[in-house]
Amino acid sequence: MIFREVEDRDLIAKARRGGVEAYNLLISRWEKRVFNYLLRLVRDREDALDLSQEVFLKAYQNLGKLEDAGRFGPWLFRIAHNEAFSLLRRRKPEGDAEPEPTGQARSFRMFPIELTLAVESALARLAPDQREAVVLKIYQGFKFEEMAEVLSCPVSTVKSRLYTALDLLKDTLAPIQTRGVQ
Amino acid sequence: MSCSPYDLKDFFFGELEAAQGRQVEEHLEGCPECREEFERLRLTRTALDSLREEEPPRRIAFVSDSVFEPRWWRALWQSGPRLGFASAAMLALAILVHAVTRPAPNVAPAPDTAAIEARIGAEVAQRIEPAVRAAVAESEARQAKKTEGLVSAARKDFELQRDADRVAIAETLVLLQKKYNVLQLASVEWGARP
Repeated sequence: MIFREVEDRDLIAKARRGGVEAYNLLISRWEKRVFNYLLRLVRDREDALDLSQEVFLKAYQNLGKLEDAGRFGPWLFRIAHNEAFSLLRRRKPEGDAEPEPTGQARSFRMFPIELTLAVESALARLAPDQREAVVLKIYQGFKFEEMAEVLSCPVSTVKSRLYTALDLLKDTLAPIQTRGVQ
Repeated sequence: MSCSPYDLKDFFFGELEAAQGRQVEEHLEGCPECREEFERLRLTRTALDSLREEEPPRRIAFVSDSVFEPRWWRALWQSGPRLGFASAAMLALAILVHAVTRPAPNVAPAPDTAAIEARIGAEVAQRIEPAVRAAVAESEARQAKKTEGLVSAARKDFELQRDADRVAIAETLVLLQKKYNVLQLASVEWGARP
């Protein structure tokens, strides 16, 4: 008997045959990433959790449409992207974005919790598509080609969104001298 | 604005070829502005990395429920082997139904073979035997005619041969008579010598 690690494609094959337990195992592998991606985008834990459940339900119902089981990750995040932006469109435009910190505040040395809040605030000020590009690249580690697949747009557009967002974040975050972190 | 030979952000995210990356590294060693810009990118990334991933407040899991199951026709449609099997099963079922529901063919009652044999015998006796008799008579007549012709020819040949033999015998007798006369004359002459 030869043992090998159970791969996502094994679980997907079983789930396609109606194996709910296999699908639950697949969820356990991806739910944290999907939840955090949605949390960074919609900035609300309950909404992120509800959307996560909706994402995994839709993924299960549409597993038959997944042509390449090896592309499950980008395919799953494509569903999550659609769900997140559907919610963002239903919401009012983000007019209550975090206020721009003053120049003095930006030069203060910060505790880790303050740095976390500053990062969250800086991310919140980005447009949703820019914030999504940062989340997919920095926090989810996707390659540019995979991001283009998730966002259904050219790689050049992906890079444009990410680099613009990075310039905005750089102006806010780079001057911060953290205390107790570095 | 960066004066780097390639985009510093591409270099920062590892998007450049190895040779291109080396060019940027060499440029950074000699360009304080670009080095500062690259350092700002690094600090930004460090700040962003301080944001930790969170655990979902509740685990997501499903139980087997028909509401969540894919529609049977969709699962069937999306499964090539199963669709093929279903097609074969439907074809087999159609053949079976056709075989079961097809109207039975009109089967004739079993024939009375004895009567048929008797009728056939009578017809044979009625039709075949006269024909056979006529054919036999015709054949016999033909044979008789042929035999008569052969006999007639043989008789003619015989008569011709007999006539020829008779002529030959007569000629032979004449010849012998002539020889005898010659011998008689010779004998007379021989006796008259002194």
